[in-house]
Amino acid sequence: MGLGPDLVAELEAVVGAEHVRTARGDLEPYSRDATPMFRGAPDAVVWPRTAEEVAAVLRLATRHGVPVVPRGAGSNLSAGTLADRGGIVLVLTRMTSILEVDADELLARVEAGVTTAALAEAAAAKGLLYAPDPGSRTVSTVGGNVATCAGGLRGLKYGVTRNYVLGTTAVLPTGEIIRTGGRLWKDVAGYDLTRLLTGSEGTLGVLTEITVALLPMPATTGTGVAYFPSLADAGRAVTAVIGAGIVPATLEFLDAKCIGAVEDYAHLGLRRDAGALLLFGDDGTDDVVARTLDRIGELSTRHAALEVTLAEDVVRSEALLAARRCALPALSRLGTLTILEDATVPRPRLAEMVGRIDEIAARHDVDIATFGHAGDGNLHPTCVVDRHDEDAAQRAHKAFGDVFAAAIAMDGTITGEHGVGAAKLPYLQDRLGADQVALLRRIKAAFDPAGILNPGKLGS
Amino acid sequence: MNLFDPQLLDRCISCGFCLPACPTYALTGDEGSSPRGRITLMRALDTGVLDVDDPRVREEASFCLGCRACEPVCPAGVQYGQLLETWRDLEWAGRDRPLVARLLTTVTAVTPLLRLLGLVRRPARGAGPPDRSLMLGCVERGLFPGVSRAVRRLLPGIAVPPAQGCCGALHAHNGDSQRGEELAHRLGEQLPGVVVTTSGGCAAHLATVLGRERVQELSEHLVATGTTPVGEVRVGGRRARVALQDSCHLRNGLGVAAQPRALVAAVADLVPVPGEATCCGAAGTYSLLRPGDSRRILDPKLDAVEAAGVDYVVTVNPGCLRQLDQGLRRRRSRVRAVHLADLLLDAAGGRALPRPRRRALRAGRG
Ligand SMILES: Cc1cc2nc3c(=O)[nH]c(=O)nc-3n(C[C@H](O)[C@H](O)[C@H](O)COP(=O)(O)OP(=O)(O)OC[C@H]3O[C@@H](n4cnc5c(N)ncnc54)[C@H](O)[C@@H]3O)c2cc1C
Ligand code: SF4
Ligand code: SF4
Repeated sequence: MGLGPDLVAELEAVVGAEHVRTARGDLEPYSRDATPMFRGAPDAVVWPRTAEEVAAVLRLATRHGVPVVPRGAGSNLSAGTLADRGGIVLVLTRMTSILEVDADELLARVEAGVTTAALAEAAAAKGLLYAPDPGSRTVSTVGGNVATCAGGLRGLKYGVTRNYVLGTTAVLPTGEIIRTGGRLWKDVAGYDLTRLLTGSEGTLGVLTEITVALLPMPATTGTGVAYFPSLADAGRAVTAVIGAGIVPATLEFLDAKCIGAVEDYAHLGLRRDAGALLLFGDDGTDDVVARTLDRIGELSTRHAALEVTLAEDVVRSEALLAARRCALPALSRLGTLTILEDATVPRPRLAEMVGRIDEIAARHDVDIATFGHAGDGNLHPTCVVDRHDEDAAQRAHKAFGDVFAAAIAMDGTITGEHGVGAAKLPYLQDRLGADQVALLRRIKAAFDPAGILNPGKLGS
Repeated sequence: MNLFDPQLLDRCISCGFCLPACPTYALTGDEGSSPRGRITLMRALDTGVLDVDDPRVREEASFCLGCRACEPVCPAGVQYGQLLETWRDLEWAGRDRPLVARLLTTVTAVTPLLRLLGLVRRPARGAGPPDRSLMLGCVERGLFPGVSRAVRRLLPGIAVPPAQGCCGALHAHNGDSQRGEELAHRLGEQLPGVVVTTSGGCAAHLATVLGRERVQELSEHLVATGTTPVGEVRVGGRRARVALQDSCHLRNGLGVAAQPRALVAAVADLVPVPGEATCCGAAGTYSLLRPGDSRRILDPKLDAVEAAGVDYVVTVNPGCLRQLDQGLRRRRSRVRAVHLADLLLDAAGGRALPRPRRRALRAGRG
């Protein structure tokens, strides 16, 4: 298709010729993100450096009616950065300044392309904690995290990205640069546009700068593992933990297939004979951490745990968490096409949902491994099949349709943290209902009258 | 079309975990020069979306250092090094191979020629039992003949067969993996027992062809056989301060990183330096083929080495040794680059290392 020489020249004038690429070989690497099966190459890739450059690019795109897809690290699992209608992929990875980390105000201000790990390190250097902790933290950008409202391994105690975004600088598709929120915990002037932009998946505006709240760094962290005969047993233990009023920082689970895959990759000495494991952790003062870990251990044992072990030191703790973070890619070693989903149910129904997933898998004759954030009912059922087995891929697709329906029927949702993107769009109305979807579209139109920003995704 | 082994190519799930590890991606911030992006380019070749003449495809096949830093961080277990060899076979088949690479691979493959060029000294006949033998290495025996002499003194009795061909690593990395494999097999026949090498690059290539059990890099061999170094290296009346530069293929290909550190720490003060585990830009023939990029990779590393205030930076690979040595000389640094074998021999009282230079001017830097 192409953009036309005029537009290309205008883009070059805005960001510099070396930051606009249109050759086939330059576009191909931007034709996919971490989502399996979805492909679509843009007509141009553009790397802006400042909010003003972003604004100028968006004004041009609006004038020419060309789609613009914002992209951070491209680690999303919902085809959110798919340029399936061509146009411009706007890559924010040159915007990597950490503008400030303020220990008195407990906040940091960063450009959108800073990786989550870099932000966390900069905060840690001043004795502060950036709480959101997505598994992809070494790669994913803060802009991408805010745009998808990323969750993570500490979600139970600390919540998700949304709870930490104090303010943003965002560029609207029409070219206005707005500042939402600011540096305050309390601020109720106007509609909460900061929250609206958080989780808007690059469909309402392009985030260029983000102010996040930090916390004092907890004195200690501790981690433990409990092995169970089955995932259902583990699920019951989780219900018991939450029911006892314990809110640890981390409460993650892996089923037997995931344990095997992670162990193959990370060689941690996990028990391969267990049907499931719970990885739990907490942070705070020494005695609080010790008490939480002990009580979770106790409750696990009471709920059929085969074995409970606590990590002896930080290194071991980190190794266990790192292993959990890589569950998805480790699972992918089992086949050539790995489809990971992201259903969420109310916490007490976790075990029930796991049972439903097993039934659904059996009915469609596919293997579904499941891991996830047990503490917040967020499951990642994952199906690994042979890329070339069309039929198996179809069966997996159907099975996941049923999984989403089951989640919704349990008052759950079709995505807890990965977002809707293009991949979940077909299921969105089932979750929200027609009226709400219509409202979403009106909001989208208010921000983006020409409909150029990330079309075909949320809000379309 | 299956230009690539589908078993290898299908492994990648495009998760992007490899991005932060890749030195060329760090330079450009462009997916196209990241492991994930390069694999996408290979896929595009495989499906015919792009062909081998596409300028970006050609550029990336050459821009990649082949350092394999993307392998250990990849949770899905993608064997990137293998994919790259296939890719370069496709890109650099026959006449398209870069001239420098063609010359080097021709010269190194022919031992008599090497001799004529004075690159090979006829080694003294080793008397040891043939349970292990020392590989001399084509580049090393020309540039740093002292290294294998040092090993012979550290490991008296090791067999050093005089007739040794090339291991073929340069061929495998420069678009001729078939010849690379043949040469490795032939060398395997010439060298009895466990092959001990003083080059991380050769070790990784030989291990791929001959099997991991047959090949040991020097530090690995010393640690595995419990040959503990004696003595210490001193500079100006104190224990020397020494940094270690990993060999990419040793670290990322064979997973050997602890052994050289343990050996250095036994004879000197081992000083950790940021970036010591990432590529120095030598990358086989890379510093000859792409001198500009090679220096862009090297410079921050040299800054870090100098800032750490060390006397020596130790390498375990001749290409890295040459790269660091040249770079340090160019900026008239007081720091010296030395091979691990020389450091250990010096500690044992065998021969004095060159003294760190007195820093003259900082003006000649960069
Ligand atoms: C192995 C693995 C583990 C993961 N673990 C987790 C996890 O634990 N929790 C979790 O929530 N997610 C997880 N993810 C998903 C993914 O990493 C997150 O969605 C992440 O937030 C995406 O960040 P990114 O920088 O890669 O954004 P991208 O993938 O580039 O983009 C994601 C979306 O945000 C939009 N976007 C990106 N940057 C901007 C911007 N500056 N302004 C406006 N819109 C923008 C894009 O248009 C797109 O819609 C994981 C992914 C992988 C592969
Ligand atoms: S090479 Fe490995 S780490 Fe990189 S994108 Fe592919 S699967 Fe992920
Ligand atoms: S081999 Fe090195 S330079 Fe090449 S893609 Fe992998 S990490 Fe990057």
